[in-house]
Amino acid sequence: MPPQIYDVIVIGTGAGGGMAIKTLCDAGLKVCALNSGRRLDPEKDFRNHRATWEMKFRGFGDPATRMKDTPGFLDSEYNQGAWEREIAFTTAPGTKWMWPRASAVGGKTNFWGRSSARFGDIDFKAATLDGCDVDWPVTYQEIAPYYTRVEKMIGVASTVQNRPSNPDGVYLPPFNFRCLDWILQKGCEKSGVPYLPDRLAQLTVAHEGHPACHYCGDCTFGCEVGAFFSTPWFFLPSAEGSGNLDLKTNAIARNILTDADGKAAGVAYVDRASRQEYEVRAHAVVVAASCIESARIMLNSKSRHWPTGIANSSGQLGRNLCDHLYATTASGYLPQLLGQPSFPDNVSANPIAWMPRWQNLKSAQEEQFIRGYSVYPDGGCAEFPGYYDRIEGFGSSFKHEIKRRYPTPVSFTVQAPTLPSEKNFVDVDPDGKDSFGIPMARIHFQWGDNELRMFQHAKQVSAEIFRKAGAVLEYSADEPEMPGYSLHETGTCRMGNDPKKFVTNRFGQTHDVDNLYVCDASVFLNCTDKTTTLSILAFSVRTSEYLLEQFRRGAH
Amino acid sequence: MAGQSIERREILCMLALAAGAAGFPGFCRWSFACGHVGADITQIRPTAYRPLFFSAAEYATIERLADIIIPTDETPGASQAGVSEFIDLMVSRDAALQPGFRSGLGWLDAQSRKTFGNKFLSLTTAQQTSLLESLAYKKKFRAGEERGREFFSLVREYTVMGFYTSEIGLKELDYPGLKFYAGSPACPHKDDPEHLHLPGPKG
Repeated sequence: MPPQIYDVIVIGTGAGGGMAIKTLCDAGLKVCALNSGRRLDPEKDFRNHRATWEMKFRGFGDPATRMKDTPGFLDSEYNQGAWEREIAFTTAPGTKWMWPRASAVGGKTNFWGRSSARFGDIDFKAATLDGCDVDWPVTYQEIAPYYTRVEKMIGVASTVQNRPSNPDGVYLPPFNFRCLDWILQKGCEKSGVPYLPDRLAQLTVAHEGHPACHYCGDCTFGCEVGAFFSTPWFFLPSAEGSGNLDLKTNAIARNILTDADGKAAGVAYVDRASRQEYEVRAHAVVVAASCIESARIMLNSKSRHWPTGIANSSGQLGRNLCDHLYATTASGYLPQLLGQPSFPDNVSANPIAWMPRWQNLKSAQEEQFIRGYSVYPDGGCAEFPGYYDRIEGFGSSFKHEIKRRYPTPVSFTVQAPTLPSEKNFVDVDPDGKDSFGIPMARIHFQWGDNELRMFQHAKQVSAEIFRKAGAVLEYSADEPEMPGYSLHETGTCRMGNDPKKFVTNRFGQTHDVDNLYVCDASVFLNCTDKTTTLSILAFSVRTSEYLLEQFRRGAH
Repeated sequence: MAGQSIERREILCMLALAAGAAGFPGFCRWSFACGHVGADITQIRPTAYRPLFFSAAEYATIERLADIIIPTDETPGASQAGVSEFIDLMVSRDAALQPGFRSGLGWLDAQSRKTFGNKFLSLTTAQQTSLLESLAYKKKFRAGEERGREFFSLVREYTVMGFYTSEIGLKELDYPGLKFYAGSPACPHKDDPEHLHLPGPKG
């Protein structure tokens, strides 16, 4: 029996891959999806309905086995085995990089922060406005209909805000403002900073067969009822129901196979458990393994046609790695709320409001930096009183002060985009392979002056807002979080019209290999001040439909 | 204890109920429907806990320290919440923590003997408090006690971690999560957006 040839292989099942899988399967194509990790069972694997004291290590995880120096949401007792622990990577001398990878089916959509703002022409045409780098090969008008479709699919709660940097979309009712939001909004108003409901992909009402949120606890541990978008809850069931999907789990894509003409012919993958290598074949391949991993797979796909990696005739594969600089710009408490009864204002343990970019809007050069950043406010009655270390002493007075301050904590996080830089890229470590025998990704990354200036600016403004809101400022970070912390990396396979300068065309199809497509944030020119998931979904549906069109006209 | 976690099927059932109840004037959006209300919070503790890491004497000191840091007053404290058992478990699983705890306990007893002529556990409450105050309050810091301060801060950290992840601790805070809400929680002080005229804290 000849080996099965699928129509399309999709590498990755997160936002980009999940959308491609759904779009292609729904249209009748036979799809093989490769996912590097296991499939989660929300009822067993997500424990966000579990109280801390019901878990052996109170939710902190087993100190003997948990990954050190990673944010608490990683590898916690709430969702064990969902985050990557085995695939090693390296960093160039001087580079620090944290790389949280959700290898479970659905990827990071299982645990994402849900902030879902559209990119606009202020982002797509930023280079025209400020002369830095190049414009995107698309206009907002072209992408807007895809955003609208995605918002309708996943459900985004927000309001129409008429902000110059943030095109409005189609929204479910917004989250209500909590006490801390009204107080902070007053402070922002006095500082000339917008404070508005975030665009939040969290269902304030039942939507498309998915239940409304019941505001039980920390969403970044995974949702047991699917009240916010993730591909396992929203996309994969219909794809599997179509009978067109063959999902291979624990299948770590190693490289893309090519035929005699250098076209994509399939994918070689390593089985996580057995370390055995397998091959699957298809007429087209979609890479959506997330920015760095997508670059690694393509760089590791060397052949006679592609001596430096598949579709890399431009030499741009792996280049222009961007990330959001994250930092706590202000943290403290609201004395107005001292001693007030506890209030369910932090039940999703994530911001529900934001301060969308307000800088460089009238002209591109108003500030000491170009482009702009956004700020997310956090606060309220959390599951753990993390502020305890700001209170001195012990005994009843300590215990009472922890209680008195319980409703009051507040902190701001800046989300500042890096600019594309020649210094920031991914290549393959020439000396090292991971335990699966695959050459490791090596990351080269430094913050640039522009984002560091944004960080300083954000600290000043945050302090001012705190003062004007009557908040007590106790801390602001001297250094940003480690690069990679935001999980918003973009670049490495940028899209553009010139095959000499860009890896893919404006539809995410690689210039060199017409049956190879990229459906994740790798194609983005830069990361903008907005989060990535909504745009990954919008660009992925557009690329998938373009691929479908090529199939229909017999190109693949 | 039954009813501590909310099962998916219960949630879906509640969601269905809420959809029906949302328009009903008597429906209280802040009420919650899971089994947490009135849950009996008596901690069931084995009568003789056998420490995994600490010696019996070390463990007794940890227990005492935790209870000084978060005492029982109008509400239950660290000992009722089983904090020392949590600390023992965490330290037993974390090789990096073990030297700090062990040498810190040694330091504390040595300091107790030096100052008051007896090991920490045999001191009076006033003596214990006085020793710890010099480790806990900046204005009472004494030169040469850096190791002691580091140790106290470590014990305090793990006491807080253990207490506020226990059922007793989260009840103390009146943690509002792990409940079912029919709508996104909204500020109840609409006519006072700056929150300058809130009713005073109770008690």
